[in-house]
Amino acid sequence: MSAVITAGNLSKTYGKQAALNGASFTVEAGRIVGLIGPNGSGKTTTLKAILGLTQFEGELTVLGMDPRSQRDALMNEVCFIADVAILPKWLKVKDAIDFVEGVHPRFNRSKAEKYLANTKLSPNMKVKAMSKGMVVQLHLALVMAIDAKLLVLDEPTLGLDILYRKQFYQNLLEDYFDENKTILITTHQIEEVEHILTDLMFIQDGKISLAASMDEVGERFTEVMVEPQFVAAANALQPMSQRTVFGKPIMLFDGVPRLQLSTFGELRTPSVADLFVASMKGTYA
Amino acid sequence: MKTMKWLIKRELWEHKGMLVWAPAVIAALIAALALGSIIMGNHLNFNDDSSPLSIGSVTIEGTARMRIVETMSQAYMVSAMPVLMVLSFVVFFYCLGALNDERRDRSILFWKSLPVSDMSTVLSKVALALVVAPLITLGIGTVLSLLILFAACGAVLAHGTNLFGAMLMSPDLYLTPLRLAGLLPVYILWALPTVGWLLMVSSMARSKVFLWAVGTPLVASLLLVWAEKMLHIGINASWFVTRIVDRILLGAVPGSWIIFEGDRVALQHEVHRMAVPETIFTASWGTLGGISVWLGVVAGVAMIATAVWMRRRREEG
Repeated sequence: MSAVITAGNLSKTYGKQAALNGASFTVEAGRIVGLIGPNGSGKTTTLKAILGLTQFEGELTVLGMDPRSQRDALMNEVCFIADVAILPKWLKVKDAIDFVEGVHPRFNRSKAEKYLANTKLSPNMKVKAMSKGMVVQLHLALVMAIDAKLLVLDEPTLGLDILYRKQFYQNLLEDYFDENKTILITTHQIEEVEHILTDLMFIQDGKISLAASMDEVGERFTEVMVEPQFVAAANALQPMSQRTVFGKPIMLFDGVPRLQLSTFGELRTPSVADLFVASMKGTYA
Repeated sequence: MKTMKWLIKRELWEHKGMLVWAPAVIAALIAALALGSIIMGNHLNFNDDSSPLSIGSVTIEGTARMRIVETMSQAYMVSAMPVLMVLSFVVFFYCLGALNDERRDRSILFWKSLPVSDMSTVLSKVALALVVAPLITLGIGTVLSLLILFAACGAVLAHGTNLFGAMLMSPDLYLTPLRLAGLLPVYILWALPTVGWLLMVSSMARSKVFLWAVGTPLVASLLLVWAEKMLHIGINASWFVTRIVDRILLGAVPGSWIIFEGDRVALQHEVHRMAVPETIFTASWGTLGGISVWLGVVAGVAMIATAVWMRRRREEG
């Protein structure tokens, strides 16, 4: 397995504000990586750096290329959906397909048409007349028909209703993803992506604060519903966070063996959302 | 090359209204006016013999007939002048929006997700402004002119003189549109500084592109004129206005070169007894002998390069 993305010490400042502050990470091929962080933590800047849409300091290799100098070649192998609804209003469905087929060497027209057949989109429809969800369907149809090695998604389902959101991720998993492809995704809707992710990256203040596979996350982090008599003992192990449900404290531990914790009460694997909240404590304080 | 074809198609999809419909509507209006007046004219003749407009039936033959055919076949493209003037507006506003609209609606993020270089994208827009748009306009203008010409011949025929045969035999009928098309390279070279300037401003300005594109040179000229008058420094403000401001704002007007180079290249059809279209053609190509057109070309290319660089480096969203 080779690394699709290798980033070393990425830095970028907007005026005095640091957007990236020495972020380092690697993304392996065939993974679905969630890049998750609070607003203003540097998520979008990281994605822009990977896509060659911004200048930055540090080292970055994407599919063996430097996005700063080899952007045009890189775009043959990389696809991205940046935010929703960035398709121009005047574009017709059939024109969009014709154009991408014309300029992209890895575009498979029949795939796009097959996907569009399952939607309400018709060839002569203009983006102007589409709902937000339909625009994303069109964009996804175009992107899924491109045999790219890396797909970057920046808040792809922002503002969509739950039906479109579920369908979006389902299509992505069932019809697009395979072991030769890598997906890097940022979103605030953590609950909806956590079951499709294979890897997790937390970003905070322009640095990567956690990078682990979902399996590792399950091993490393444990949530315990602590029985009242063990609260003092549990607190001694320095939980990352603590909240109370039905009068019982629930504590989140990092790196404490499950066997040891099982004496305190009921164990479970924390959701990514809980983990996120716990590890980002104090971000806006 | 294949990419370029699709990029141009893309521009046509986006700007069909401006590139095709605007000149077509103007042409239709002119045609309606011209045909209307021709028909109305005939109507008067046939129904009211006492009307002072009445010419009745005449048969024109011989030299007079030849002169009429010659003049008409050389000058009939004049009816296309308003359409060609529309071209300057089309090119001007097309260039202003070309690199700004995609940033404003953020669709640039979509275009940039495709393997198309910034250079090809910007060049496709240059090609559209300097080659495709003029050819479309010229096509519409030619159709309009022929329509009016034949309508006029038809009107004359109604009065008893058939000019159709002579007209269709006249080489000028076919040469005039070709001569105009042959001026395209001259147009490209003279319009380059304007197109370059507008594309550069379009790639730089966050908003209010028109204000930046027109305001900057105008304010600069005003400052220079003021400095010249008040401070008595030896700046030649009028030189700046005529050589820089005019060139970056008015270069897209067809025939602008005749005005820019008016002092150097004179239209001497009287002296050489040449036909008017031929004179214009020769004089236009003659302007390329001067240095100023080439300085403009260099400036235009540099500004287009800046626009490419801006599109590559500028951050969006």
